[in-house]
Amino acid sequence: MLHTRIVDIKKEKIEIIKAEKFIASNKCGASIYFIGTVRNLNNNKQVIAMTYDSHDALVIKSFEEIYESSIKKFNFDNSVVFIEHIKGKIKIGDISVLIAVACKHRNQAFELSRFFIEEIKKKTPIWKKEHYKNGNSEWLEGNSIQKN
Amino acid sequence: MNIKLELFGASKDFSKRSFIEFYLEEKSTIKELRVAIIKFIKINFNDNEGYKKIVNSSSFCSYKNEIVSDNYKISNDEKIGIIPPIGGG
Repeated sequence: MLHTRIVDIKKEKIEIIKAEKFIASNKCGASIYFIGTVRNLNNNKQVIAMTYDSHDALVIKSFEEIYESSIKKFNFDNSVVFIEHIKGKIKIGDISVLIAVACKHRNQAFELSRFFIEEIKKKTPIWKKEHYKNGNSEWLEGNSIQKN
Repeated sequence: MNIKLELFGASKDFSKRSFIEFYLEEKSTIKELRVAIIKFIKINFNDNEGYKKIVNSSSFCSYKNEIVSDNYKISNDEKIGIIPPIGGG
């Protein structure tokens, strides 16, 4: 079971309670929450905020493809996955991404959670622009997406 | 034919709007669109090397939300997205 969404910070924010409700299952004995937040220092620069841009349709498609590939790779029974990613400008400490997974066993939950965040970093069209204390800002370099 | 290039990530610095319009020959491909964007940067941003690097390392997305190759033939009035290197999360 999968939930995916891009959350526009102008309208709302990512809420952990929604993930808790979605992944709750009597069939699962382990839950992991991966919460990505904006930190205040990167490459010795004082960061005050981050803007996230996304190609929304491709992002959702990418989340679904990662989910499908996780089923093929792990074949865990009854796993539940909740993914939300922010869009827009957020400040230090705010949540940028939430990946909540529930599985039958703890090792499965750890493995699945790690798999999702690593695949998202490699495959999902989301971009970050850092805003610095000195007033400057810059888009962070990333990885090129290749045609499948 | 007219092409609307939707800007994402670092390519948003290419324009104050969220897209750029290009005129290309009929049956042009992504390869020719890439050349047209580089020309646009030469004219509007004094051949900015950083911007050219973004274009050369970007992928492109069709109106069907599929990443397409450089040989992809663009349709008239098609909306194409430029997908710079990614780094979310």
